[in-house]
Amino acid sequence: MNRRLLASLIFIVVAAAASIGVTIGTGNTPSLGLDLQGGASVTLQPEGGYDAAALDVAVEIIRARVDSIGVAEPEIIRQGETVVVNLPGVKDQQRALDIVGRTGDLQLRPVLQSGTVDPNATGATGESTGTTLPTETTVATQSTVPSETSVPEEGGPGESRGARPMTDTTVPSETTVAPAAATPATETTVPTDTTVPAEENVEPISATTATPPEGSEVLLGRDGFAYLVGPVAATGLVFENNATATIQGSAWSVVVQLRGGAEGEDIWNALTTRCYGRDATCPTAQIAIVLDGEVISAPVVQEAVFSGGEVQITGDFTEADARDLAKILEFGAVPVKFEVSQVQTVSPTLGSDSLRAAIISGLVGLGLVFLLMLAYYRFVAIIVFVGLAVSISLQFSIITYLSKTNGLALSLAGIAGIIVSIGIAVDSYIVFFERVKDELSSGRTLRNSAQRSFEGAWRTVLAADTVSFLAAAVLWWLTVGSVRGFAFFLGLATLADLAIVWFFTRPTMLLLARSKFMANRSMLGIKPPKTAEAVS
Amino acid sequence: MSVFAGFGRLYRGETTVDYYGKRKPAFVVSGAFLAITVMALLVGGLNLGIDFRGGVAWESPVTATLDSDAVREVLEANGIETSNAKLQTLQGTEGERIRVQVGDQSDEVRSAVQTQIAERAKLDVQEVSVAAVSSSWGRSITVKAIRALLVFFVLVSLFIAWRFEWKMALAAIIAMAHDVLISVGVYAVFRFEVTPATVVAFLTILGYSLYDTVVVFDRVKENIDRFNTSRMSMGNIVNVSSNQVLARSLNTTLSSALPVIALLVVGSVIMGATSLQEFAIALLVGMITGTYSSIFIATPLYAVFKNREPKYAQVKNQVAKGAEMAALFEHSTTRAAQKAAASETISRESSVLKNTSSNVLTHPPRPRKRKRR
Repeated sequence: MNRRLLASLIFIVVAAAASIGVTIGTGNTPSLGLDLQGGASVTLQPEGGYDAAALDVAVEIIRARVDSIGVAEPEIIRQGETVVVNLPGVKDQQRALDIVGRTGDLQLRPVLQSGTVDPNATGATGESTGTTLPTETTVATQSTVPSETSVPEEGGPGESRGARPMTDTTVPSETTVAPAAATPATETTVPTDTTVPAEENVEPISATTATPPEGSEVLLGRDGFAYLVGPVAATGLVFENNATATIQGSAWSVVVQLRGGAEGEDIWNALTTRCYGRDATCPTAQIAIVLDGEVISAPVVQEAVFSGGEVQITGDFTEADARDLAKILEFGAVPVKFEVSQVQTVSPTLGSDSLRAAIISGLVGLGLVFLLMLAYYRFVAIIVFVGLAVSISLQFSIITYLSKTNGLALSLAGIAGIIVSIGIAVDSYIVFFERVKDELSSGRTLRNSAQRSFEGAWRTVLAADTVSFLAAAVLWWLTVGSVRGFAFFLGLATLADLAIVWFFTRPTMLLLARSKFMANRSMLGIKPPKTAEAVS
Repeated sequence: MSVFAGFGRLYRGETTVDYYGKRKPAFVVSGAFLAITVMALLVGGLNLGIDFRGGVAWESPVTATLDSDAVREVLEANGIETSNAKLQTLQGTEGERIRVQVGDQSDEVRSAVQTQIAERAKLDVQEVSVAAVSSSWGRSITVKAIRALLVFFVLVSLFIAWRFEWKMALAAIIAMAHDVLISVGVYAVFRFEVTPATVVAFLTILGYSLYDTVVVFDRVKENIDRFNTSRMSMGNIVNVSSNQVLARSLNTTLSSALPVIALLVVGSVIMGATSLQEFAIALLVGMITGTYSSIFIATPLYAVFKNREPKYAQVKNQVAKGAEMAALFEHSTTRAAQKAAASETISRESSVLKNTSSNVLTHPPRPRKRKRR
């Protein structure tokens, strides 16, 4: 029994020492919330109806944008439907809003040209033709009646027309592609690029139009190609909200339904007709699916009119690619529009002021509690000191670890939670000591009292901590913002309190009570009865 | 002498205060405070910050060229009604800061005012902090907090009802509502601004109040079990329990309150963080009422509920006092306690002590023996 107690005591002390040692050794500190560090915070809420999957895509778009501008340690938190974007160090509110405030639309744009992005290319016109084609995708109508094929012709919607199952992934040979050097879209989609390559590139395009139409630009594709795309011909709204990734044989593809009527089928078919016919505005027969300035996929149109109402995108997809594309199409179908519900900029000096105030008052409070304990419980208060030190080391390490891995940030409300939890931690000792006193004064030996009172105190502490933890858990689940931060730290402190009472206070007190050292000493101001042995 | 003796008894958990007997004055005092709270809420309501109402707040250091009037001019220049604007001056380590709050504004106005204030103050734009909250967001925060509270009430009631009994759950919830209401009353009466930090403070109070009540109820439950075989009145049980945990309650309150007092004094008076000041005041009031309510409201209330049960109704007027109550700490029946009390010359704190120690010598601790048989 003594050995077990000793093992538990050694375990918790070593664990605390090791974790704080590692934490300090690696120089890690918890990352600070915006209210302590300064920076900008934007809270977004989706407007109107939205789709859970679409919200994921929207958050990804924001994340990609934030990453691309290189903000140090950005924090993008999803709390239910709310998205909180914290940009530490960004002091300009307008900039923060520009980054996250607008939402990307899913656009469908005809591809005028495509080519590789290769800054070192020599620009041998014609040589690269064919080799640089992004050929992996095609658009085909989902065949409902495979046997009944017909030649696609122009026509309005509603005409009965069979669909051809298309698996052809080749690009017609006459497609011309700009040589790599002629498409200097090597880094970004700067608007001026759109006209420059076009001028140099007159040759391939000249057959149809001398200059690209108004509104065209060069966009980068996910596959590494650059696309010169025409003006937006349609948005993701032409699709129904039911894109799914399916597998046919060994090839993954994405199937999506077209919305009926003028908003869906009509627009889509007008575009595909243009592309299928290799109209001047869509010479490559490819339609670029563009999200937030990036070409996700550029399938070749295999049909002029999609009368079946279903669109299938096939290609060299992996399962992940297909699912991703399906998700993006779904986002396009039900785009999430965000409403900026909260914007906050905290100046760095205000943040550091608050941090200093919180730290100093925390330390002063801790010191006062120590003095009180020392005055009231005398040397037994040392147990409280060491226990608090162990508890604080453990909590600090956990907070630091979580802030490195999960992006947890220590906010002012969190510090408040920690300061408040000092009281809860100390209370566990008080409950325990008061019970020991009760038992001692009713004539039991210290050895006996410590054991009995631990059992009683543990029940009390467990019940009281459960209530505290319940509060923290409910608040964490159901609220947002600073209350949530507070709840997290309160919950952590409550768990730490339970761990300390069981692994530290229990063995320390029991071992102390059994030791020879305490045999003839008074503890907690109550002298051991002379006849102690006889009574127990 | 008496102070030290009183402390000694407190230290040994031998105080004999008749809390149950004083329940009516306590209820009246609490009722008066609650009435004030309700009045203040009805008359003035709460001074809600922009996080709940929606709106925009700018905050800037005060410089030689920037004062309240300058800020007002900036607001007027941007077509904002200054009569509704809330202007505050805050003390900080690095001098005064000025804070102004208005209702919802467009993005353009928001950044225009920020830039113009910075220009007036001859500071970098970054030094002027801005917070904007849309009113719908403010509403949703409030709704979420209330929903969380309701869920919490239900869960905690279930837990206490399962761990103890439902009458304790009811008494604990009433005591908690009392504490939170009085803390809210402080905000309503003194017109402090309610911010998210305040909500955090109210929630802490609620958790703290329940925590404290649970500790006392745990002791009450233990005593109910201890007196189970004797016909002990509920008044006696709660009196004995409350007196036994009094030292613990006071100690815990002190050690919880000390960090908060430090937050109040160091954080706000010395360092000048006003938001911390109000937060700390709310916490302090909540902690004090939390301790008070668990002893003066929750337990007597529980006894009142319990006295409706036939078992306790018959003996509800038998409430021991003084030495007799002290004897109850050791004896488990009323008669034994009366005998023990009578055998002692009724006086002096020292006799109470002697009483317990002499009892100990003749009677080994009872409860355990009783259980064994």
